[in-house]
Amino acid sequence: MTSEYVIEMNHIRKEFPGIVANDDITLQLKKGEIHALLGENGAGKSTLMSVLFGLYQPEAGTIKKDGVEVKINNPNDATALGIGMVHQHFKLIEVFTVLDNIILGAETTDKLGFLKKKEAREKVMALSEKYGLKVNVDAKVEDITVGMQQRVEILKMLYRDNDILIFDEPTAVLTPQEIDELMEIMRGFAREGKSILFITHKLNEIMAVSDRVTVLRKGKYIGTVNTKDTNKQELSNMMVGRPVQLEIHKEPAKPTDVVLKVEGLSVPSKIHKNDAVKNVSFEVRKGEIVCIAGIDGNGQTELVHGLTGLEKASGGRIELLGKDISHASIKKRALAGMSHIPEDRHKHGLVLPYTLEQNMVLQRYKEDRFQHMGFIKFDEVREYTEKLIEEYDVRSGQGPVTVARSMSGGNQQKAIIARELDRDEPLIVAVQPTRGLDVGAIEHIHSQLVAERDRGKAILLISLELDEVLGLSDRILVLYEGEIVGELDPAKTTPEELGLYMSGAKRNVNNGKEDGQDAETRQ
Amino acid sequence: MQRLDSKTGKAKWYRKDGLTTVISSILSILIGLAVGTLIIIAVGLSKDTISTNGIIEGIKLVFLGVFSTGRDGGVLTFGFNPVNFGNMLFRATPLIMTGLSVAVAFKTGLFNIGAAGQYLMGTMGTLSVGLTLAWKGCPAWLVWIAALLVGMLLGGLWGAIPGLFKAYLNINEVITCIMTNWIAANLVTWWFEAHDVFKNSAEGGKVGYIIPLKNVGVSTPKWGMEALFPGSQANGGFWVACLIAVIMWVIMTKTTLGYELKACGSNRHAAKYAGINDRKNIVLSMVIAGALASAGGCLYYLSGNTEFFWSTYMTLPADGFNGIPVALLAANHPIGVIFAGIFMSMLNVAGLQLKYLTAYNEYIADIIIATIVYLSAFAMFFKLMIKGRRKANEDGKNVNAETVEEGGKA
Repeated sequence: MTSEYVIEMNHIRKEFPGIVANDDITLQLKKGEIHALLGENGAGKSTLMSVLFGLYQPEAGTIKKDGVEVKINNPNDATALGIGMVHQHFKLIEVFTVLDNIILGAETTDKLGFLKKKEAREKVMALSEKYGLKVNVDAKVEDITVGMQQRVEILKMLYRDNDILIFDEPTAVLTPQEIDELMEIMRGFAREGKSILFITHKLNEIMAVSDRVTVLRKGKYIGTVNTKDTNKQELSNMMVGRPVQLEIHKEPAKPTDVVLKVEGLSVPSKIHKNDAVKNVSFEVRKGEIVCIAGIDGNGQTELVHGLTGLEKASGGRIELLGKDISHASIKKRALAGMSHIPEDRHKHGLVLPYTLEQNMVLQRYKEDRFQHMGFIKFDEVREYTEKLIEEYDVRSGQGPVTVARSMSGGNQQKAIIARELDRDEPLIVAVQPTRGLDVGAIEHIHSQLVAERDRGKAILLISLELDEVLGLSDRILVLYEGEIVGELDPAKTTPEELGLYMSGAKRNVNNGKEDGQDAETRQ
Repeated sequence: MQRLDSKTGKAKWYRKDGLTTVISSILSILIGLAVGTLIIIAVGLSKDTISTNGIIEGIKLVFLGVFSTGRDGGVLTFGFNPVNFGNMLFRATPLIMTGLSVAVAFKTGLFNIGAAGQYLMGTMGTLSVGLTLAWKGCPAWLVWIAALLVGMLLGGLWGAIPGLFKAYLNINEVITCIMTNWIAANLVTWWFEAHDVFKNSAEGGKVGYIIPLKNVGVSTPKWGMEALFPGSQANGGFWVACLIAVIMWVIMTKTTLGYELKACGSNRHAAKYAGINDRKNIVLSMVIAGALASAGGCLYYLSGNTEFFWSTYMTLPADGFNGIPVALLAANHPIGVIFAGIFMSMLNVAGLQLKYLTAYNEYIADIIIATIVYLSAFAMFFKLMIKGRRKANEDGKNVNAETVEEGGKA
């Protein structure tokens, strides 16, 4: 007797100390379907997949393969059942070649124990050909792009003849073009009869590629729906548990005085000898959100570092509120009126071993409010942190004394945003402020940024997400290979047009080459 | 998140962070003592000269050496021995200072393995300045203060060298610390080689020693130690070390300076992002570490009952390195360093009792210390064992940490 479902996970329960990560969750995967698993951070998606992949043993519940109950004790059992997984953070050995990485753990050898690499190579080439997974099998993993690394991970599953493929947040690291390619590859697998489990919290991708969706929330099973019978709004309501505003609602901007003026800024690259940011000029005014758009690695990070002082600029002039800060220290720039929500919240945003309250005064501990004669006023710091927690809805296990490391990513980001916004500086530099966050948190942060704009702040937003660029900004500057190649009005442009600028195929600004060109295009 | 009690919803008392640290250190100590006991038994069984009674005596001394009052009618006697206690505190003084040095540096993300060199530089400064000023007729109390301060200054400057290399050239401080250790050893030897005035030629039969400061009337006051521990070497230097430890604890936990230093140590990038001068703080924390380590040398040679063997280019002072286990055992807590320092010197005293009173030698104490040092590196492991498998779960998958977090809120 054959079952309709290739994999059934029935009533799975998985507990961790103090928390039920999966509470009576049922997931049924049909043969040849793309099944999305949707949920916010911490909803239990990855735990459920780790149970299926044999990394965790469930406290209750059964797993069936083709209608027969199976026990998966470790990833080897999973592989034997044809289950493969592409992890969110790739499990590749950087100094090995692509081919070596693919065969690792499934090497075939001859009688004397020598690797049969030639056969392996032929098999990998054939798979690569068949599914359009372009890779250079002899390149070292450290030298290839993230997109290609992901294709290596996919080839690893195919090489092991897996027919149940788990993708854990596969698009988080990809550019829009690469995402489209991946979607096409996934559809190809489904046509082949392979079954796909697709973990994500991005609704666009679910609508684009999946057949059915199972939604989890806070460890509980919410429901399974057919994609064609639902819409983004319904899915996001299921995921968050309350109606969510997907569209950003904001009034047209009423920009006034110039707050930040950048002229001919160049910032050296850490990777190569040339400048990563080349002769960039722009202005940000009170009451507007200016967005720097572009594909990752086109100089965004360096531009921000040059602006905030983390990196020395190699040329150009930065004016903040009419004051030249081109050569000022990080501290002086901050005091001159600059808040900075950093790109990497673990590297720059937080001192992870510090408590929440210690992190909340990271720039302000020397203000008279928080210290007296060099002694920290702990009561003041505590009070201030409690106020921020309340106002910005920062959630943590133990309030102000929670160690930052133990907080969830979303709440870490909320804490940084609370700290930066509460400093109440005229300019806010927000770098990918919603990276890796779920729908509920993104909505919250977007509305906060719009509120700050309406209070007369100048906001410079750096984002890689097209939805965010188009939805949140009042003016778009496209950065391509360190140059501003386009200035666009989000109301009048389309994602396609923006994509052309981002890929360097089109430009409407020649910065620095003709004086006054900037001003003309802005009209 | 800590594992919470199902009834009260609070962390169980034995899983509180501070307490687990203390417990894990005590575990290291107990295992170290147990290993020492095993060695005593093994050595005793393998030698015909040691009887069963001798073995038992050896074990008693390992645990209670500091309480030993000698033998009475062939039987070991125990009780309060002021000489042992006083000597224990006297020997603890430099250990507390070098332990503080390592602990403070470690709190700011630096591994100060250069305490030995800083200790030597401090010794050189103290002796040279102390003797010179005394000969010039300065009052003894002024000489004492000046000698201590100059010694600490010199040690601080010596510590600045690895700090500067680290901050501006990103050269690992461990490498430069080891190099500056040997440079200091040779520098000190050269300095006293070149300046015969400091050599002690007055007292016959002594070769290679510097004139002790007590010969010029300068020594650390007893400050009540002579009443508490009559007949011992204990002096006020111990109180000075304790005071410095308390001051360091206040600086590290209560002040903006400590906040800055620890922020730089925990995450240099975030500190820089927040406008904290990360380079300045790295150098500063090495200067503080250097000054603390050198104070160990200064206090030791200001005590009035020590003499400095100046030809030191072949050897580095053991107290410089023993600061590392002291700091480890104290889990880098400045107040904990006082107790860890006392404990380490207690083992030394016990070793000496073994040597004087039994057929064993004092090296058993060194083995116990070595075992404890080895185990204190496991302190983190013990901590995790006590706290349950919390960390393992956090590491297993990031998402789980977040799941746990969600649960904490709900």
